[in-house]
Amino acid sequence: MTKITFTFNGKPIELHTDPSRRFLDVIRNDLKHTGPKEGCGEGECGACAVLINGHIVNSCILPLANVHHQEVMTIEGFSKTKRYAVIEEAFIKEGAVQCGICIPGMIIAVESLLNRNPNPSDEEIRVGLSGNLCRCTGYNMIVKAVLRAKEMGKGLW
Amino acid sequence: MVRHRIPVTLEEALEHLNETTYKIIAGGTDLMVQNRAWSELPPKFDAPLLFCFNLEALKYVKEENAFIKIGSMTDLETLLHHPLTPEILRKVIYEMASPAIRKVSTLSGNIGNASPAADSLLALYALDAKVEIKSQKETRLSTVSELILGPRKTALKQNEIITEIIIPKSSFTQTCFVKVGGRRADAISKVAFVGCASVENNVIKDIRMTINAVAARLIRRQDIEKGLCEKTPDEVKQNVNAILEAYSTSIQPIDDQRSNKDYRKYTANNLIKAFLNTL
Amino acid sequence: MSTINKSVPKVEAKDKISGKMKYVSDYHVEGLHYAKTVRSTIAKGVIQSIELPPLPEGVTIVDYQDIPGKNVVKMIYEDWPVFAEKNISHYGEPIMLVVGPSKEMVQAVFDKIKITYQEETPIFDMVQSKVDYHFTKGDPQTAFQEAKKTIKYTYETGYQEQAYIEPQGFIGTLEDEKVTLIGSIQAPYYVKNAVIDTLSCKPEDVRIIQATVGGAFGGKEEFPSLIGCQLAVALKKVKKPIKLIYEREEDMEVTTKRHPSKITMEAAIDEENNITAIKSHVGIDGGAFLGLSSVVLSRAMIAATSAYTINHLQVDGDVYITNTVPNGAFRGFGAPQMIFAVEMFINHLAKDLNEDVHDFRLRHLAKQGDKTTTSGTFRDPILMPEMIKKACQISGYHKKKALYESSEKMKGIGMSWFLHGCGFTGSGEADHIKAKVKLRKDEADHVYLEIAAVDMGQGAKTTLMKVAAEVLELPLEAIHFANPDTDIVPDSGPTVASRTAMVVGGLVARAAQEINENWQSGKPQIVHKSYKQPDYMEWDQATFNGDAYPAYSWGVNVVEVSVDPASLEVRVEHIWSVYDVGKSLDDNIVIGQADGGTAQGVAYGYLEVMNHRNGKLLQKNMTDYVIPTAVDMAKTETVLFDNPFAYGPYGAKGAGELTLVGGAPAVAIAIEMAINKRVSKIPATPEYLMELMNND
Repeated sequence: MTKITFTFNGKPIELHTDPSRRFLDVIRNDLKHTGPKEGCGEGECGACAVLINGHIVNSCILPLANVHHQEVMTIEGFSKTKRYAVIEEAFIKEGAVQCGICIPGMIIAVESLLNRNPNPSDEEIRVGLSGNLCRCTGYNMIVKAVLRAKEMGKGLW
Repeated sequence: MVRHRIPVTLEEALEHLNETTYKIIAGGTDLMVQNRAWSELPPKFDAPLLFCFNLEALKYVKEENAFIKIGSMTDLETLLHHPLTPEILRKVIYEMASPAIRKVSTLSGNIGNASPAADSLLALYALDAKVEIKSQKETRLSTVSELILGPRKTALKQNEIITEIIIPKSSFTQTCFVKVGGRRADAISKVAFVGCASVENNVIKDIRMTINAVAARLIRRQDIEKGLCEKTPDEVKQNVNAILEAYSTSIQPIDDQRSNKDYRKYTANNLIKAFLNTL
Repeated sequence: MSTINKSVPKVEAKDKISGKMKYVSDYHVEGLHYAKTVRSTIAKGVIQSIELPPLPEGVTIVDYQDIPGKNVVKMIYEDWPVFAEKNISHYGEPIMLVVGPSKEMVQAVFDKIKITYQEETPIFDMVQSKVDYHFTKGDPQTAFQEAKKTIKYTYETGYQEQAYIEPQGFIGTLEDEKVTLIGSIQAPYYVKNAVIDTLSCKPEDVRIIQATVGGAFGGKEEFPSLIGCQLAVALKKVKKPIKLIYEREEDMEVTTKRHPSKITMEAAIDEENNITAIKSHVGIDGGAFLGLSSVVLSRAMIAATSAYTINHLQVDGDVYITNTVPNGAFRGFGAPQMIFAVEMFINHLAKDLNEDVHDFRLRHLAKQGDKTTTSGTFRDPILMPEMIKKACQISGYHKKKALYESSEKMKGIGMSWFLHGCGFTGSGEADHIKAKVKLRKDEADHVYLEIAAVDMGQGAKTTLMKVAAEVLELPLEAIHFANPDTDIVPDSGPTVASRTAMVVGGLVARAAQEINENWQSGKPQIVHKSYKQPDYMEWDQATFNGDAYPAYSWGVNVVEVSVDPASLEVRVEHIWSVYDVGKSLDDNIVIGQADGGTAQGVAYGYLEVMNHRNGKLLQKNMTDYVIPTAVDMAKTETVLFDNPFAYGPYGAKGAGELTLVGGAPAVAIAIEMAINKRVSKIPATPEYLMELMNND
């Protein structure tokens, strides 16, 4: 048992638990947030993605210890922001959502990308989302949604 | 009961290492996968862990004299965007894994994990990188290639931690990185290649080539490289077959779930040839 | 002309984007237990002994001895055991479940179970036929006797894994005698009927609820019945709620894949260099158990000439049983293998005969009124000539082809033409499925679709709700469609075979029409409708004669590639598609299907590699089984042609599978052009291209 403290969607959290546990399990089981999903368990698919200090990280291979003193945001927290509202609208307009299991992670990837680069090209979007696998869409509409989001959200990033 | 530690300072980390056996874990991208348990259960580590990723003292990139010095817990995403990062290392990092993985990957983790398919090591070998290694009593330097003994095996002692990666500043007239994976992004290399060269007045002054995933350790043949220096590019190009022949004793790939040995050898040869042809 | 195709926001999109949507692994109930499957570690043999550790209190072992009913999963062919008894037929075959109140306890017991086997020699080659089908059209014998020449080639295709991002799983509860399973499934009634047989219980004692499905692609058609049966048996024994979710490796190693195939085609050629007859043999690897393989074989064989008409045919096929993971449903269902073979064959024939490929194909293209492979009739207009022109125009096909064929630059452009039969093969819909739908209107004049159709991302909810709203002239907000619950919805059939929009949508439209005709505002109304086959459909399953499908969707894919000269890696540069799906019920949804289906089809052709060694799959996680990332996928452009089908709602035909079946040959033909060698095997990996380049 180790004391771990971090900020979770803006709120301070203190846990006493095994610091080697996967952060994804802590989010889903201890903190009861099921937006991040387990798709592969090895950091390959990105369905479990969360923001740590504003940057995308795969929570399924992240030991809890590594979020000690860090700022964490999951899709649940991000969905309360203005930036999210823009991305959501763009994804809906472009029809970029099919089964949806990859989408919370994909949205985190989009936020992380636009955070670093508010005006990405088609190719930069594809590279930025390359750690988030989607089996339904072939990515075409997802790329279009990001292009739309960056236009709609000018000044937000 | 294993007792994991999250040190706040390097001194504290070194103190723990001196007391008992710990497994040092940085971002965990390799170790968390290798020791994965059934989901929701803690990973199956057989030693207590020392979590060093958030040691602020080891997160930096700086220039000192003729060297670029990188704190061992600096993540690859930071390196990708840092102005001091050597060009060839940046090229390699750009094609490594994904943004999410790069944010928690470190050069020291890649070295410690000693995978024969690690891409960052291609650049570190080619750049003659050294590492600074510390224990509570001692600080020592080692080249990366001496530190890595074989797949998943290093000469790091039980009480030691890698604290810094030291890269001699160098300038090349050309650098090239080719990664051949199962797909164009987020893939583990079937084979990958780094080539760096300086050609001045039509004479090769410096040339370095490294290849991964075609032997138990990365390949860099400084004996062959020396033989190419002071030659003209045309002399080298005319001599390609002999050069490939010289490399062939080192290129000993295997069949696995990602590719086969014939293809790895074929492609490694083609990548060497293609690079030499650009000189 | 209806404007139903105009896109609307998908009804479930907001919940999915914000992470609120619940998938099966997100459900939690008090007192939850966990199950883990103990599996064979050999490919073939007999269990000699099972040694169990002492079981701590609360941990239970569930195996075949606990099955109250039949130890077989009810499918088309009943040979697949719920739990292995003595004989082991493939690596990873389920032997028992360990169930307990915590994962720690389950894992501790799991780790101490020792099973010894008497190993036997496994069979991995396609030599042991368990099902063989044959049919002919016209008089192939005479055509071959009269042929100027005959040409014969063999084509091979590999495994493909569905690779849905959400692994398989269920959560189950027991209340008195009643089993309730919530799962990630495509066919609620398949699971229900299978569980009834396994438990030997009353239908009302089994309730299946579909959780939101995180991708399926056929992978959640029949396989979930196996997990559902195992979990139901466990629930009866343990009498606690149980969760059984697969880990990714487990999912990849033991769930059904696309059948590897070996297809031989021989053509009889006449004096004018036309194909007069084709003899084909279609061999598919069924894996250890038949499951749905015989139906997959049927669909493959019926696609024997794809979008072309050949008057004389002999088509033979076998499902071979091997000691490997059972293969099963995957979007396209046998057609992708056959259409790959047909398209490569027609290209190779044209080359052998020194014919212009495009012209040669056009001469054999199917026309309205032609006889299908099974001597049925193409009744509806076929727009392929216009669609092909369109595809050539938007892709610059002819110019690029001329350029790349004469250049050393290792670039290529490939085109495939194809069709897909909509709905179940033959009389399956009328004789076996007998789909029913129920529409209910409440006092508030809201209408509820009570149907078993599953939205697994393909847009079934939005599409079918739009159909109802359009007929009833109600806003979409007044239409409701909850995930199917077998206690509420009748059996509308499984969500498979590109049947949902056309068949279930047609029934929804008819039911809505009836509500509309008897509309009484403020009063509850309920309408039931059952499937009626179009009058013209005649099918003889014994001889494969007649109309195999009520309608066909058509497509053209163009794929442009470049091949790296050093590594022979293929880069897909651009994809263009033209489809006739009758009438699009929502353009974004149909084009979304097109984008995703084409991605899967193209990747099947060059990227996705799965092999086994001694019956054990080598690529068993998302790192080693490579599916395209956003960087691998090229920009895709899709054009839809309107060609309304009289029996589909607003003219809709099938769309889901069509978009996959032409991808592989298009990319393979493009690769052929780039490397100037003949491709006869997919996936066309760099390793395979190296062999082709070395075989000079």
